[in-house]
Amino acid sequence: MLDGFAVVLEPTNLLYCLVGVVIGMLIGVLPGLGPAATIAILLPVTFGLEPVTAIIMLAGIFYGAQYGGTITSVLLRLPGEASSVVTVFDGHALARQGKAGTALGIAAIGSFVGGTLAIVALTFVAPFVADFALDFGPPEYTALALLGILLVATISSGGRLRALTAAAIGLLLATVGRDDFTSAERFTLGNLNLADGLDFVPIAMGLFGLGEILYNLEERHRKVQAPAAVANVWPSRADLKQSSGAIGRGSVLGFFLGILPGGGAVLSSLAAYALEKRRSKHPERFGKGAIEGVAAPETANNAAATSSFIPLLSLGIPANATMAVIFGALLIQGVTPGPQLVTDNPELFWGVVNSMYIGNILLLIMSIPLVGLFVRILRVRAAILAPITVLITLVGAYTVNNSVFDIGLVIAFGIIGYLMKKLGFDPGPMVLAFVLGSLLETSLRRSLLLFDGDPTGFFTRPISGVLLALLIAVALLPLAQTMLRRRRPASDGQGAGATAPGEIAPAGEAAPDETAPSEKAPAGRAPGTEKPDGTTPAGNGPEKKETPT
Amino acid sequence: MNKRLPALGLATALALAGCGGNLDSDDSGSAAAAYPERAITLLIGQDAGGSTDLIGRALADPASADLKQPITVTNRPGANGGVAAKELAAAKADGYTIMVFVGSLAYITPLAVPADQAVDINNYEVVSGISQDDYVLITNPKTGFKTVKDIVDAKRAIKYATTGVGTGSQLTSSLLFAQAAVNATAVPFNGGAPALTAVLGGQVDVAAVQLGEAKEQIEAGKAVPIVTFAEKRPTYMPDTPTAAEAGYKVPVQQSRAIVAPKGTPQEVLDRLRSAFQKSFAEQKYKDFNTQRLLTPNEVDGATLLQQWNGSLQTYKDLVAQHNLDLSGK
Repeated sequence: MLDGFAVVLEPTNLLYCLVGVVIGMLIGVLPGLGPAATIAILLPVTFGLEPVTAIIMLAGIFYGAQYGGTITSVLLRLPGEASSVVTVFDGHALARQGKAGTALGIAAIGSFVGGTLAIVALTFVAPFVADFALDFGPPEYTALALLGILLVATISSGGRLRALTAAAIGLLLATVGRDDFTSAERFTLGNLNLADGLDFVPIAMGLFGLGEILYNLEERHRKVQAPAAVANVWPSRADLKQSSGAIGRGSVLGFFLGILPGGGAVLSSLAAYALEKRRSKHPERFGKGAIEGVAAPETANNAAATSSFIPLLSLGIPANATMAVIFGALLIQGVTPGPQLVTDNPELFWGVVNSMYIGNILLLIMSIPLVGLFVRILRVRAAILAPITVLITLVGAYTVNNSVFDIGLVIAFGIIGYLMKKLGFDPGPMVLAFVLGSLLETSLRRSLLLFDGDPTGFFTRPISGVLLALLIAVALLPLAQTMLRRRRPASDGQGAGATAPGEIAPAGEAAPDETAPSEKAPAGRAPGTEKPDGTTPAGNGPEKKETPT
Repeated sequence: MNKRLPALGLATALALAGCGGNLDSDDSGSAAAAYPERAITLLIGQDAGGSTDLIGRALADPASADLKQPITVTNRPGANGGVAAKELAAAKADGYTIMVFVGSLAYITPLAVPADQAVDINNYEVVSGISQDDYVLITNPKTGFKTVKDIVDAKRAIKYATTGVGTGSQLTSSLLFAQAAVNATAVPFNGGAPALTAVLGGQVDVAAVQLGEAKEQIEAGKAVPIVTFAEKRPTYMPDTPTAAEAGYKVPVQQSRAIVAPKGTPQEVLDRLRSAFQKSFAEQKYKDFNTQRLLTPNEVDGATLLQQWNGSLQTYKDLVAQHNLDLSGK
């Protein structure tokens, strides 16, 4: 392991680590151009480098982008990636209040802490958690996706009915495209561009980016004067105090959800946000500029970005598109990631792992001063900023798939986003349900194939059983709560203290030896200490609801 | 600062727009003899990072050096390459837009999708074949299966992961199980990695994946190879029988070719073919093939068309003979 540090500290490797992180931040800032595409474009550059050097740079791009994506989410309400969608809610609200600097500062600190804690965990427990990730099969993803969609309804700032409606539309949108199981075309209108379904990027960019701009054009007279002074990049002591819990919980949650193949970073930012909102004594602040609402998802997605290297490096299985490209880069270098990587190529494994420590420090050092620069963008008048944003958005949408069709999609969803905003619908649940929709559908159908159509199979598997028990608890509790409240109108029950502290810590420790504890708790003996799944997104959040009553 | 930032943004935007313009503009019609006089676009119908993408990129570099023009790799994923194939069909037949075409799109997808969605390789000009990917049926050691006979003798319903509908992975497994009279259910996943994960995690009993994808897991003892679907035993898996040796007729491979729009002039096709042959000859590319367990199939266009059309017919017959429905309905 120490040899790994020797590898990283070679000047070339340090340099490429820096290059990677800087490129990552830049592409994170440019909406649309994601890390997967960038790394693919840069692949030829890495041919001439040593394998370790190449991967250090590519890894830097990946986690650098996680932070860069925050910047546009906060400043322009443009999530570059699915994992930054929830950051938009409070991040942009803070920016409007002139606290963009604080939001970005907290995000930088959270990213640093989340990333670093995840690396520490990766260093010590990678071999164990890799096997745990394999226990996640279609039934577990079904439960996870269901929980995620239920959470979607709770994170929205609008009314619950509207949020659920938007989520339902998101689910419908997810069904567009060729059926994965029968290859029948659904809602494609015979258009080949729709054969593989709608892409996340144009939808998010249209709904959030373009929709927002259109809305602002109409409301321009009402628009708050762009923040005059963005003095404090360093969050105040109070902000830090308020966020520290969120950062801690986000790190643990992000780490475990990031290990899971597929969906990890999105689920983790969403789950971390929902968890904070649930835990908060003032959940109504969320969506209106709660600093925890930025800290939690940003910490979680960086932790997840780091831990998603675990399945790649220890199992040889790329967890997401970016990992797939890095996988390819390693292959071109003559290194095949897999179970034998650590023994066959220790200097590569530890070199990459340790470069992440350095990379995260670089990220923190660079981002704090740069935040000031980014924030100034906000001072540009809307009349100038809006067209530029539109242009960047459209160019960004085009570059992802080099598709003119995607530009049309952005425009269409921009109009939908504008209308939704006018009618008081939050586009957030729609986008997130869209992202989770295909995961839900395919996992559900795969599970039913595995169970020969018998749905009780979900409840007999330990992990999915616990997740589903939780789900039912989350779904029923608000109902029970309302009924209780009707009887005792006064009690608004903030029993936060009771469950709160206990929850998270055990979650983290229990998770690696996952299967054991969960087996004895199939019925989700619910809330308390069980939560073997530090992994379950909702895991900790929702049950908090129980205590109040 | 206030003024400079937007200006910068505008400049960037303009520069970006300008780039796009350059790529699109063209003064074609000029003699093919001068070909190529500008950048060539190589379409890849799959996502960046997948095996097709890697192969395309590994070839593009040396070929562009020979052509003395850049080759821009453009990923247009969708419908197993159908989206890119449609774009290629609409492109000018001037040799400036070419594509890495996957064989399964030409000879397996047509068996799974309605006729109007199928792509016909005969509507394109083939520059050159590239290489061939063999499939291997793997299982989790915990199942105890070592041979196809073990699976048959288990006398239980088998679940197998496929890498999707209309893929070679689906076709190999379904043909094998139909011939072995095993009661087996296909569980489609999106690609090799999740299918492999499902085997390693014990969610399914077996899966057919590409050799290169399973290599590491087999060497580490986490996956057990049962049969390969190669024509003869691959050198790196001398102890694993082929399906033919085990008594089953499953002649299914994935293969890839460089393809240009119909009507591209012969001299342009020849120029391209000689450039890609330079790539094939590079030691670095040969090593890449060895490492990914790819078998070179660098044949000319006529031979490739014969192979692919032959495969389509063979599979059609086999699927009809065993009464299979690849669309999974």
